[in-house]
Amino acid sequence: MSTASHRSGGSRVSNRIEMDRDTVERDLMKLVLTVVELLRQLMERQALRRVDQGDLDEDQEERIGLTLMLLEERMTELCDRYGLSLDDLNIDLGPLGPLLPR
Amino acid sequence: MSAAHPTVRYCYAIARPFPEEVLRGLAGVRDAELRPVREGDLVAVTSPVPAADFDESALRRNLEDLDWLAGVARAHSAVVDAVAERAATLPLRLATVYLDEDRVRAVLRGGRARFAAALDRITGRVEWGVKVSTLPADRGGRPRADRSGTGHADASGRSGRSYLRRRMAERNARETGWRRAAEAADRIDRELSELAEDRRQYRPQSTRLTGSRGENVLNVAYLVAEERSAAFVDRFAALRDAADGYQVELTGPWAPYSFAEQTEDTDDAGRAGQAGAEPVTANGSPHGEVS
Repeated sequence: MSTASHRSGGSRVSNRIEMDRDTVERDLMKLVLTVVELLRQLMERQALRRVDQGDLDEDQEERIGLTLMLLEERMTELCDRYGLSLDDLNIDLGPLGPLLPR
Repeated sequence: MSAAHPTVRYCYAIARPFPEEVLRGLAGVRDAELRPVREGDLVAVTSPVPAADFDESALRRNLEDLDWLAGVARAHSAVVDAVAERAATLPLRLATVYLDEDRVRAVLRGGRARFAAALDRITGRVEWGVKVSTLPADRGGRPRADRSGTGHADASGRSGRSYLRRRMAERNARETGWRRAAEAADRIDRELSELAEDRRQYRPQSTRLTGSRGENVLNVAYLVAEERSAAFVDRFAALRDAADGYQVELTGPWAPYSFAEQTEDTDDAGRAGQAGAEPVTANGSPHGEVS
């Protein structure tokens, strides 16, 4: 802290830019995660439908289930890392309702 | 301080004439004294406010200031509620202001037929709000609640198939809940509409507003004659007692905000300000998001 004044405004400015970069990164991450979560949910819904129809044998069910589960865990980790909740990823499409089902 | 600062007239509502004592003990926006402006058989409830707070640019800024907005909204609704208790009342939008008392009179004269018709429509009637929602999901509806296992992918009992089965159960529960609530909503709406003179349906509230209280599937305001109000509440109570697998909520009785707005918007003469008085109006919150 004490040295900050000697280095004058330079470090302050770069600090601020750093912060902005964080915001940008977080926003970008949010957008990316939203898209990934949408795809993940679509895949999961499709998988559940196929299980409903009895399309899959046990092995396939196990593999698909595990993949979806790991994907969701990864998703949760990434959300945590960027301080986002699944609700943050939702986009309100106005009269069409939310992008992701709740 | 006061004389040098120009004021404009804030308008709360247009009503049928009512006894003066209704306004006694009430204060307007920023604690200003309330002044009824009567023109024929119409009364506008007004109070002076600093012009500097309500010109276009200041207003735009102030409307973003939640504290300022909350203060205005509280005063606005306290005045409207008090007047509506004693006389048919058309609430005006939040932050409707006119230049001076003459403008207010001009508006009352210019919109006389329209205001009278709208007042007749709501005279002796109240508004009830009804919501039907799904029950809140017990586990938050999402498996991320069980974080304990995160990172140990293949700990015992956590197989891909059991994950799928759990998700399927959650999906089915959600769908069943939603279907139940939606079917109930139809029936409830039909029954309550029988006792109402008019209804206005709003977009279901988002869970962001309702918290985690389940998903709102029906959000309706009913215009109910005062003498049928008790029957309406009874009918609602019966419906609520019969509710199984969904939840219902009743709010009111309100001044018929929803039905006053409707006439304003559908009338091609437009809002109160069309009489050339150039009001600065801001959209009031739609019904339901206020409560």
